[in-house]
Order: sequence, then C-alpha cells, then structure tokens
Amino acid sequence: MLYLIRRFQFVVCGLLLSLPGWAAGTQLPPPTHRYWVELRDKAGAAFNPATYFHPAAQARRQRQHLPAFDLTDAPVNAAYVAQVQAHSDTVLLVSRWFNAVACQATAAQLTALSKLPMVRRVTELPDRPLLPAAQPLPSKAVGKDKMTISAADRQLARQQTRTLGGEAFQRAALDGKGLRIAIFDVGFNGADQHPAFRELFAQKRVVASYDFVRHVPDVFHGGTHGLEVLSCLAGRLPDGTLLGLAPGAEYLLARTERMHREVYAEELDWLAAVEWADRNGADIINSSLGYTSRRYFPEEMNGRTSLVARAAELAARKGILVVNAAGNDGDNEDWRTVGTPADADSVLAVGGINPETGLHLDFSAYGPSADRRLKPNVAAFGTVLAASPGGYSRIDGTSFASPLVAGFAACAWQQQRNLTAMALFQQIQESASLYPYYDYAHGYGIPQAEVLLRHARQAAPPAQEVATVSFVAQDSVLAVFIRPEIARQVLTRQLPLYADSVGGTDEVPNRVAPLGKEEARPTPASEAPGEASAGAAVRPPALPAAGYFYWHVADANGVLRRYEVLEVSQRAILRIPRRTLQPGDVVRVFYQGITHSYPIQ
Amino acid sequence: MRRILKFTAAFGMAIWLLCPASTYAQRVLLHSDVAEDTIYGSFGPNRRFFNHIYLGYLPVVGASNPGSDIRYGSSSEFMLGLRNKLRLSEPVSIGLDLRFVRLSYVLAQTDHKLLPTPTVHHRESVALSQWQLEGFVRLNAGARGNVVGRYLDLSGWGGWVMGTAHRAEDRPSTGPRRVQTNERGLPYLRRWPYGVGARLGSGRYAAVARYRLSDTFTPAYQSAYPELPRWTVGLEIGWL
Repeated sequence: MLYLIRRFQFVVCGLLLSLPGWAAGTQLPPPTHRYWVELRDKAGAAFNPATYFHPAAQARRQRQHLPAFDLTDAPVNAAYVAQVQAHSDTVLLVSRWFNAVACQATAAQLTALSKLPMVRRVTELPDRPLLPAAQPLPSKAVGKDKMTISAADRQLARQQTRTLGGEAFQRAALDGKGLRIAIFDVGFNGADQHPAFRELFAQKRVVASYDFVRHVPDVFHGGTHGLEVLSCLAGRLPDGTLLGLAPGAEYLLARTERMHREVYAEELDWLAAVEWADRNGADIINSSLGYTSRRYFPEEMNGRTSLVARAAELAARKGILVVNAAGNDGDNEDWRTVGTPADADSVLAVGGINPETGLHLDFSAYGPSADRRLKPNVAAFGTVLAASPGGYSRIDGTSFASPLVAGFAACAWQQQRNLTAMALFQQIQESASLYPYYDYAHGYGIPQAEVLLRHARQAAPPAQEVATVSFVAQDSVLAVFIRPEIARQVLTRQLPLYADSVGGTDEVPNRVAPLGKEEARPTPASEAPGEASAGAAVRPPALPAAGYFYWHVADANGVLRRYEVLEVSQRAILRIPRRTLQPGDVVRVFYQGITHSYPIQ
Repeated sequence: MRRILKFTAAFGMAIWLLCPASTYAQRVLLHSDVAEDTIYGSFGPNRRFFNHIYLGYLPVVGASNPGSDIRYGSSSEFMLGLRNKLRLSEPVSIGLDLRFVRLSYVLAQTDHKLLPTPTVHHRESVALSQWQLEGFVRLNAGARGNVVGRYLDLSGWGGWVMGTAHRAEDRPSTGPRRVQTNERGLPYLRRWPYGVGARLGSGRYAAVARYRLSDTFTPAYQSAYPELPRWTVGLEIGWL
C-alpha cells in the first residue's frame, strides 16, 4: 500500500513539475469538436450512375426494380464542401447519402458554419472518449498446433453449417456464387495467407478492399477478428469441410473498426464503408460490429438514433441486405439489449445459439428494440470453429453467428435472384426453426435451408400439422397439456402426467468480449485430437432444442410480456394464472415444430 | 378422518390453483419477463444518479511565508471520498462529496523558522485529519452514452478538523539513533476550514485544484505564525 502511495506521489509530482513548461510553451490552438454539417440541397451536382456504380451495383438495382439512382446517390456539391472546408479545421467525411459533411471545428468556426446559407443544420457529434474500450479477455494458451483439429471441433464445424441446412444448399449447388458480400470489421490479419481461404484468394474473389481507418486499400492488419468472421462465410478446413455457407461468393473487405479504442470516428467509417459497398455492388453486408454504452443508452436502440442505424436503413432501401450481430451484452446487466446498427428495423439482427443445448447463449444480446420491435430476428451458432492465426480455433460471440446467416442469405438469394432485399429478409425469418413463434432471445430461431428451398419451389407444405398440445381454460388458470399421442410418438419413454424436475448442467462460455473483440477459446485438454467422446462424434445432426417447449404471452400488438423455454418432463407442461393475462393477449406455444396460439378473450 | 381428508384435498387444490407455473415440476431453461428485463435504470455514470468512491493526492503548491516554509512534494493532501452526482441535463449535473482528508505540511527546517517553535529538527510536520463536504456543479462536454465523459467541476467545500498532530523527529549525535515527538490537539489550528476548487476530468481521472479560503491558524496565533500555502493541485482517480 505504502509503495502504491509513494508511486502515486511520484506520478503526481512529475505531472505537476511538467505543468510550468507546458504552460510556458507555445500558445495552444483553440479546442475543436466534431460536427455533422447537413447541407440544404445538391444543386448543380452532376451524376452519371453508369460511371459511378460498379456494374454489379447497377444490376442489383435493376433486379430489384429500383431506380438506377436517387438523390442520395448524387455527389455532395463540391462548392459546398469547399466552403465547409474553408470554415473548419478538418473535413472528416463527406456523405452522399446524408448530404452532409463531418468536420472538426472550433467554436468560432462553428458559428461561421451555422451562418453559411447552404447549411441546413449543424449538430455536434459525440466526443471521442479518452478511455480505452473494454479489452478482450486475456488470451490463454491455445492449442500448440492449431492446424490439428480435434474430432469434437470438426464436429462443431460441420454442425455450424448443418443446423442451417448447409447440406440442402450443397445438394442444390448453392454456394453464394454471383453474390457480393461486404464485410465490415476490425482487420483481416493474415487472411490472404491462411489456408482456409486458399481457394478464395486463388480465384481472386476478394474483389476490393479498403481500410477506412488508414485510408489505404490494404486491410490485412489491425486485428484477426475479420479473419475469423470471413471464415464463417467462406472458410474451409484442410479436408474441405465448409465453415460457412458462401464459399462461392465474391467479397468486399472493409476495415472500419479500431481494435483497442472506441471512438466515434468508427461510425463515420462505417457510413463511408456502406456507401463504398453500395457503389461496388454489394448485395449483402455482414457487420459483426455494434456500438453500445460508450455512446448510447439502451433506450436509444430504436433504429432511428444512431448514424449507423440510419445508414443501414438507407442501405436496405438501396437493395442491400444488412446482416448484423445482435451483440455480446446479454449478460451485461447495464446493457443487455442489442447494439446499433442491429437495432435498425431493416437490419437482420442475429443472436447466438449454444451448440450444446440449442438454446440462447447467455452473452447473446436480448431484444426487443427500444421501440418494442422483435430483435434479434434470427439466430445461429454463437460458438463456432473459425480460422484463426496459424490454424483453427473455437470462438464465442454473435460476431460469428452473423456471417453464418449472411452465408445462408447469399445461398437463398442465389437461388431466387429477383427477390428484393426485404423479401429475402422476410423469407429468412419465415424459414427459421421456430417460425411463426418468436421470442426476444432466439428471434424466429435458426434459419432452415430446407424450408426456404421448399418455399422457393412453392412445393406443398409437409404433411398436415397435427396438434401437439391442448389448451384447457380453467377458472383461475390456463393449462397446457402435451397430447398423449404426441408424447408417445416423440419420446422413447412415455411422459408421465406429472414428474419431478431433473437436474442438469450446460456448458456456458465465460463472459465474451464486445463485438469485434472476441478471442479464440483455449483448446480444452479433453478435446485434444483423438480424445473426443464417441457420443460427440455420433450425435445426430437434428436441431438440439427440437424437443424443448417454448411459450410466450404477447399483447395485442405482438409485443411479448413474458417468454420461457421448458424442458419437457411431463405432459401437464404449463399452468398460467389467468390474472396475469389480459384481453387481447395471445398465448403461443411451440412444441415439436408446431406453433399453437390461444387468444385471450 | 373424512373431515381431515376433505381439508387436505381442499388445501391441495388451493396450492394447485394458486402456485405460479414455474413451481411445477418443469425445468425452466430460459425465462424472461420483458417488462422487468427492459427497465432502464436511473443509476449510472450518465444516469439520473451516480455515486462512486475516489482517491486523491494533491501536493501543496504556492509560495510559503518566511517562518512557515514547507517542503514541497512532501506536503500534500491525501483524500478518500464518496462522490454523489445528480444529473440535471446532458451537460449539467450537481453533486455532493463526502470525504476524509489528511492534510500534511512538512516544515522546512530553516534558521528563521517560527512554526510551531524556532527549534530545528531533523524532520517536522503538522497534519490535519478532516471530514469535508463539497458541493459542485459539473459541466459536461459532448453527447455520450452511459459514461462519465469529459467534465469541468466547480466546487465549494467546508470541513471539520477532527484531529491535529505535530510530529518532530530528531537524530541526536549521542544516545538513541532517532527520537520522535508527537503532539496532538494543537490549539493553534482552526477547526473549520473551507474553500473552493475546480476539477477537470475525463472518465475516472481528474486534475484537481483547491484553494483554501479559511486561515490555518486561530485568531490568537495569527500574528505569531505566518499563513501556510493555500493551494493544493493534484490528481483524483475514481472507482467507477
């Protein structure tokens, strides 16, 4: 303690001694702040979409019956930009979409800027917080030879695509070919050298890249998170096993994020990247990034507050499907909900599923959005096997669920190329394992390729759905029973009407770092090569949570009041006190693939 | 017996009807009550109310008067406090600190020394242990989430000196190697100090400057002892 106090004294004295010299130095320039300058019009701006847009971007608009361009695509008036430049310290970003300029200016310059006739509004951008962002968990010793993959890891790699119906896509020869997927991330260290992407780079399917932080085309630095995310779209194991569903797509790689700092400039970079992706013909944007408590409050996660949420909405209007990780703050009591831009209405927010249980992972952020919309929309494995520097590693985070679903979207879009982005969004939701049931942990569940392909072929639905449960309205409770014939069909042992509960444990990963900063898990000794349990190797590929009982109570607007997932151990599965239900409410249950609704009168 | 059975049946039925669903023999794997789980708190660094513990070290600065010269660097204020902040709007908050402060003046052993006696020692100090209350107005810069952000605090403080001590250390040439003398309850020090201050902070760190408006010595001793430096400038670290 004494040592610490002495050390503290030393630091303070050092700082104080440095003050006179600092004060005696040259006069400091006046402080500057960041401002968002919105301009009135785009008068006089000439625009030729044929020269500005990549042919892929033009084709995307044609396919979706969108105009070749709209006013938001036209360039910002150069004279206006020059005037803002003249009245500010530095111009940080010029946004066509928002007809705005982000700049750094002093208070005096701000006054002058506000008086310019072409300026509609000037708002201050959040300041650059000086504290570093939450640091990633300290990296523990990872397996010595990460190129050697255990049987359990290989099984996980297969499961992460198989639960989405990857085999159905492969049978239909769908691998994202002809699609362009933009990935916004921290950095793609070593991706160009990694064996997981040998084919991708050999076939030159990384068609463009840009580092919006350093303003250089090279993105293979800054961090490995992008490498891990890319592998969940286009990576392969040495034996050819796919880690993601879109190995045939073309990729646009953008670095928009700094690894160890949370600065507002990242959102400006995200906006610049989305305009760049649009220009270069991106069909899908995967953003495994999110912005939370350093800049916003949970109640601001309404899809209208943040710049990136509004930019993502504009991207959707231009025919781009934006897929975003829900966030890793599910176990953060101070936040818990999705970050932005996952909060935007037109952004497909993806939650994380535990591969062991098939249920929501604790760290995966919960919905709803602040304005009570469904979030996350769908879910995929939040624990995956991904390419990592020097090999392959297990890693946790919704950052990796998002590219799995982005790959799913690429295959779906490849098959139905004329779908609009929002029609595809809807089809992905409708194909999910729980649909039409939903909750704020799983969304509509895990998208299913078989369902989506059947929908696309307009094939007849599977055999007539049979009721799996019965609702019995009693005086004071609404009781739900699993029908005896279903219990006999689906279970090897007959369910008793009542039973004592059964204990059990799930393997839940430790606290996961924020989006963009997740790190690979150490390889447990029990998962060393050749030591995988026989059970893991032979586990059937069915969805793990297929036998659970999901129920919720929704109000007349579909906003949930309460939801639960139960392990089924008896037929008398649920009793809801009627005093907790209100007229207009709907009780929905999902069991054995079938959703039943019971409206409260 | 029939009566007992009837009672037991009725009791069992009552339990059956009144117990919530979760008490039945089903293992709940996931549960959420949306209204409860989406309550937005009022406590936090940029919420309605926030409090946290902090630690500060502020060396004494400013010129000392002949007769009460001090050793700079060693003379300092050490404080441990609880800060309470009430947010009025995004840029403006008010707050109240309660803290323990130990202010120590290490006296320079000069020939013209007067405080508290002209006697020269090897080392000598006067220390005041105080409880202080400080009200402040906080001006924050820039929009931000639930973080402290960058701020300027303007404050006024007052305190009660709960203990005073004069400590002298001598190194006689003969006899014991070191002789320490402690004297407590010093009659020449004021019991009720007060002053103003300012803080410039970012997140958990703040640079602090404080100016004492009250005199150090009681009126009876003011003519005998020259005033001690009034400024302290240093750093605070918050436990957020």
